[in-house]
Amino acid sequence: MLLMIYVSFILASCQQNTPAERIGTYMGTVITEKVYGKNAQKAADEVMEKIAELEAMMTIKDADKQSEIDKLNDMAGVGEVKLSRDSISVLGKAIEYAELSEGAFDVTIGPLANAWGIFTDNPRVPSKDEIDNLKSLVNYRDISINNADSSAYLARKGQIVDLGGIAKGYAGDVAVEILKAKGVKSALINLGGNVVALGSKPDGNPWSIGIQNPRAPTGEYIGIVKVRDKAVVSSGDYERFFEKDGVRYHHILDPRTGYPADSGLIATTIVADSSTDADALSTSVFVLGLEKGMQLVERLDGVDAIFITEDKKVYITEGLKESFTFKDESKEFTYVEER
Amino acid sequence: MSKNKKMVLLALFVAQALVLSIVESFIPVPVGIPGVKLGLANIITMVVIMFFGLKEGLVVVIIRCLLSSLFAGGPMIFLFSVAGGVLSALVMYFLHSRLSRLFSTIGISIAGAVAHNIGQILIALVTLQTLSVLSYLPVLMISGIIMGCFVGLCSMFLSRTLKKLNILN
Amino acid sequence: MLKKGDIALVILLVVAVIAGLAGIRFYRGGMKGDRIAVIKQENKVIREINLDEVQEAERLSLTGDYNNIILIEKGRIRFEESDCPDLVCVHTGWLDKTGSFAACLPNKSLIMIKGEGEEVDGATY
Repeated sequence: MLLMIYVSFILASCQQNTPAERIGTYMGTVITEKVYGKNAQKAADEVMEKIAELEAMMTIKDADKQSEIDKLNDMAGVGEVKLSRDSISVLGKAIEYAELSEGAFDVTIGPLANAWGIFTDNPRVPSKDEIDNLKSLVNYRDISINNADSSAYLARKGQIVDLGGIAKGYAGDVAVEILKAKGVKSALINLGGNVVALGSKPDGNPWSIGIQNPRAPTGEYIGIVKVRDKAVVSSGDYERFFEKDGVRYHHILDPRTGYPADSGLIATTIVADSSTDADALSTSVFVLGLEKGMQLVERLDGVDAIFITEDKKVYITEGLKESFTFKDESKEFTYVEER
Repeated sequence: MSKNKKMVLLALFVAQALVLSIVESFIPVPVGIPGVKLGLANIITMVVIMFFGLKEGLVVVIIRCLLSSLFAGGPMIFLFSVAGGVLSALVMYFLHSRLSRLFSTIGISIAGAVAHNIGQILIALVTLQTLSVLSYLPVLMISGIIMGCFVGLCSMFLSRTLKKLNILN
Repeated sequence: MLKKGDIALVILLVVAVIAGLAGIRFYRGGMKGDRIAVIKQENKVIREINLDEVQEAERLSLTGDYNNIILIEKGRIRFEESDCPDLVCVHTGWLDKTGSFAACLPNKSLIMIKGEGEEVDGATY
């Protein structure tokens, strides 16, 4: 009988060290969770459910369902639409980052994104006229938010809000809140490349996050960053692109030009406390380029970044010097330590 | 035995247990929990219990732990060694006084060593607040058997020598 | 020198150790380092397979909005064929490292190898 108590003790210990793992496909990508602790499974399940909810709220142009944001877009130039607290939060943050990046990040990019069709099966290169016309519809200042009655309004007809560059980031922060509320102290969530590391690993070590090599197949890295309680989000021209007449057109549009950003960068990674910030910033600095991107990051507290340029050089901000290890097996990249 | 003689002898035992404690802190333990020790000082505990009794055994254990944690380690070390030491003393006393027909000194020491390790795991459970420490039970049981044999042999030699020297009558 | 009780005690302890280790192995469903592949469709687990214990190659077909054929061999697994429009799943190729995965988003199916990655815990891309 003592033996049974003893064995059940051992099994209980296994439970603590074995994570609850879940994967799901939401928000157009694969979401994986590794959660440790007593309530791990319940917490992990709750997170997935909430992510499914967020997907339903924020995904646009899904043939099957109309989301809140679809409604907002349909009512552009017409009237206000009541939105959930989550959507209002995200819109608020989106405007904040649009201002901070001076328009390099702008969620009203919708009409242009549609024209390019990059997330569809039929991407195309729109004509210059088309782009000029649609550019006029891109202006984050046309979003007005009414916090008091939780509603928002898009000023002009034809405007379209696309939260693609910030929704996963927001989902990451929401996930962390849910996990913390359930007493989880150690977890790693990956929302299609948007990584959120809660606490340390169960053995006390920091989480090791690989930084994808922008010119090699998935799973090959140019470096590893060790983090605790941080979000690590990347943007790059390798994630979604198409080629036409020998030119590569990627999915990160520059709202100011209407064309895929041509800033000299091929990938950026942001390490920050908030996943929402990291998501919005990784797109912002990609569009801004090395110089302006660095300046923006250095102005912000608790935010660090990795920049990879067209000529295969890797730059990082001061704060990452301790936690970043350059490790490029392809030997094609150069790590620039001093600027 | 006079009270003074007893006090001096016990003090000597405490000193020896302390030395053993310090020696064993240099031996690395294959367990991820800081503060876990092998249990060499149980040799002294065993001998004190054999010649004096439970009360004296516990006194030697507790004072030894207090001093050892003062010299090096701090309050955490105290908790771990006292938990292991006390549990081990209780188990060894129980077996020695009641069941010595069934168990030799070696057997009692093995039981004591295992009890010592269980005590440490229990404290780790409470202080680290996680059940994952229990996964170390099998490893520590094996080490308990090995250590127990060693401690038992040492205790036997020590007690035989002490009897011959006729110090403790 | 050794008495009855001693032997009994040691035997009991050895049994306890074996029971403990067996319990751990059983709970984990394999030895540490085994690669367990999980196949999911529409976010429901279809099958879990210990790739290191696979004897013969096996094919599994998943039908949803599209059809996938998954090929399972000793130590590795992949999407072999699919009628989805982008074929990203098939192009991902063989999965043989813990932590790696392949997904067919149009068919809402995915394969993942559970466990800790060797060098990194996760990756950003």
